[in-house]
Amino acid sequence: MNAPDRFELFVLGEGQKKLTITPDTKLPNAATFTIQKEDHTVGNMLRMQLLKNKKVLFAGYKVPHPLEHCIILKIQTTPDTTPEAMLMEAFDELIKEFSTIRNKFEVIFFFFFFFFFFFFSINIFFFYIFNLE
Amino acid sequence: MTDLELLKNRVVLESDRVYSVSSMDVPGTYPGVDDTWDIERFKKTFKVVISELTKGNIEFDLIGIDASIANAFRRILIAEVPSMAIEDVFILNNTSIMHDEVLAHRLGLIPIKADPNDFSFRWETAQKNGNTQGPTDADTIVFKLQVKCTNKKGAPKDDSLEPSELYDNSSVYSGQMIWSPQGRQEEFFKNSPPRPVYDDILITKLRPNQEIDLELHCVKGIGKDHAKFSPVATASYRLLPDIIITKPILGKDAEKFQKCFPEGVVEVFVNKDGEKEARVVNPRKDTVSRECLRHAEFKDKVKLTRVRDHFIFNVESVGAIPPQRLLPDAVKVLIEKCKVLKRSLAQINQAN
Repeated sequence: MNAPDRFELFVLGEGQKKLTITPDTKLPNAATFTIQKEDHTVGNMLRMQLLKNKKVLFAGYKVPHPLEHCIILKIQTTPDTTPEAMLMEAFDELIKEFSTIRNKFEVIFFFFFFFFFFFFSINIFFFYIFNLE
Repeated sequence: MTDLELLKNRVVLESDRVYSVSSMDVPGTYPGVDDTWDIERFKKTFKVVISELTKGNIEFDLIGIDASIANAFRRILIAEVPSMAIEDVFILNNTSIMHDEVLAHRLGLIPIKADPNDFSFRWETAQKNGNTQGPTDADTIVFKLQVKCTNKKGAPKDDSLEPSELYDNSSVYSGQMIWSPQGRQEEFFKNSPPRPVYDDILITKLRPNQEIDLELHCVKGIGKDHAKFSPVATASYRLLPDIIITKPILGKDAEKFQKCFPEGVVEVFVNKDGEKEARVVNPRKDTVSRECLRHAEFKDKVKLTRVRDHFIFNVESVGAIPPQRLLPDAVKVLIEKCKVLKRSLAQINQAN
């Protein structure tokens, strides 16, 4: 009856912007970003990537309410840069990281497949690498 | 391993607590250690191992990534990698005992073997065609399910027999769904016509003169919308266990120690002095039950840990997408997300 539409979880509403910035009025070099239609997947990932940057002093996110499909990300940086620039850098780094992961996975899979078919016809084939110490 | 290294790289398990859980490899945590993220270093340290692959299951290790990334993969696999499922069921006739809505729900859960990359989302085509509602051949697969149950010709009148021996079509299976190609689909999917992944899924049961006549529309969707669109049955990860024996465990204790773990984890061997000693051979098999910590004799001799950046993923496909394609698909979704966000941030920066 009055249930919200299922697609509200992931389709942007009319006139809604994916990302908005509110500069912090009390702190220098700080801003709050609101990202619509995203959740912990992106929020936590961004937070972690931002924290790995030396110029970021603070990065944190929250999902304000389970029925509001957005995340709020707060960033404070050192004076020589801006939160926007740092966020941009985080996106670039993440894209690079994901491409690396995909490429490595596909290369390894190719070799795995090769071994799988030409040397073993059994269904399961294990191999381990362990050099932990 | 020094205490600092232990805290930096391992999750430590004790009999009553787990500590050193969250990753602390951010700049400024450890003096003299620069943890700033760097693509070159990442390329060097990151490893992938595929350890098992069957028709519907893949087990692979991602070594050297952060938990937030591993968790993002898991969440994306479950909720945001698209796949096809029956969304609209048009019931032309249903005289079976199963209610329309129950039947429609059951049909929705049938996995459909069709490549989601060949289709677009309904809202995408609606946007492209100027919001004219209605399915097109680019976003919908149509199946027909027309089954009528009849008495089998020449079947004996014996109630003790199985219904399948007495009647034709007493059970309706997913294999009886017939694809009806729309528009250019017939030509496009010549080599791999869309069909249910399994032909032996029981949909409903019928008795003589009951019939169902349905038209089924499959659309592309994501697991966030409804679980039927999820391409995985399970997608989970665990951290690699690592058992560190700090002082040698000898004699009878060694055998007792071995019994604290699942088979194949710990081995008893005869050391140089001719004594029995325990050593760890395959910690991967360990369930981390922490049984050995319940015995006083092992308390100071062993440390149970998990490697914090070694993720063992186990992903089971529903069947529509082959298991080895699931991770690349998830990565694609994530990259797309980052690109969309990057673009909207760039737009704002330009406007200011």
